[in-house]
Amino acid sequence: MKATDVADAIVRTLPDALCVSSLGTATSALRQASGDAGHFYFGASMGSALAAAMGVADALPDRVVVALLGDGELLMGAATLWSVSAYRPRNLLAVVLADGAYSITGGQPLPSSGRFVEVAGALGGIAARRVDNPSELAAALVATDRPGLIEAVLDEHAWPGPSPFVDPNRVRLEFERRVAARPSSSQS
Amino acid sequence: MAEGVVQRDNAGGWQSAIGHALADGGVTVAAYVPDTRLQGVLSCLADRSVVLRSLSREEECVAYAVGQRISGRRPVVLMQSSGLGNSINALASLAVPYRLGIPMVLSMRGTLGEANPGQVPMGRATVPLLNALGIQSFSLRSAEAAKQVTDGIMTLAYDAGECAALLLEPELGGGRESH
Repeated sequence: MKATDVADAIVRTLPDALCVSSLGTATSALRQASGDAGHFYFGASMGSALAAAMGVADALPDRVVVALLGDGELLMGAATLWSVSAYRPRNLLAVVLADGAYSITGGQPLPSSGRFVEVAGALGGIAARRVDNPSELAAALVATDRPGLIEAVLDEHAWPGPSPFVDPNRVRLEFERRVAARPSSSQS
Repeated sequence: MAEGVVQRDNAGGWQSAIGHALADGGVTVAAYVPDTRLQGVLSCLADRSVVLRSLSREEECVAYAVGQRISGRRPVVLMQSSGLGNSINALASLAVPYRLGIPMVLSMRGTLGEANPGQVPMGRATVPLLNALGIQSFSLRSAEAAKQVTDGIMTLAYDAGECAALLLEPELGGGRESH
């Protein structure tokens, strides 16, 4: 499984979800999968994407919100897992691209295993599971309680394609437009 | 009143004045890292049914507020000035380039009357750091000006799309003098 498989599964399985992608691989993969369809693509600010997604989730409790995160990203912003456990937004799902490397800076390895499933599970109130193929992921996106965390284990390291250097003004305006539009179908 | 938040407005009413001004301005949620002098503001916000979110670090508060802003809400971020350093990444690389104006209330440490040497360098650096990011800041030294300055940073943030900071200067008092 590679990063674009994960992003594809998210936009296909949860087409009305509001997604927030962290800088680098996650933003490139989500741009590729969504065709720049009004999600919130981070171009920088490593470690902040899950907190921003939690802000969206709290603000819009009737919308499903997916944070697509690199594993280095979540390592840097891991304390937000404690906040998710504290406030437990029932519409928030974090999906972690677990390849064990800082892809955007050249693939340097993370210093230790993320063990995000174990950490999230230990905190309480966060449903957490690990998947390693697209069909398992698609099922988990629907079946995982929220707030939830899905660690998607990658075994291919191809760069998704589109640039992760996004135009902030365009991203903001397109996201606000997507928020204002009614979802095309109902979501559970 | 929110659990764990102690009413403390022992300095001429500036804490309530700020809280009411924020609530009157349509603030719906406050993301903060706790501070003694902020407690009275937070108590007032809780009384006005503003949602409180005590988060793990100041950077997280800014990013959370960004999520609220792009969802059409009006958040406020409250922190000690010593936490500004923790929030620089989310300000410089997220809120400022995406032009997501967030009003911030900073309780000043490391300045007039500070007894803790560890707080002083960041106290000196607070305004220069904000200036370097193009974030305007406004010192509050009297309760009489609390509503005007609070209204002003909200207008800058929500209407002009610029992050703006209200600095709670030591002259206001409010609970830290004995520490």
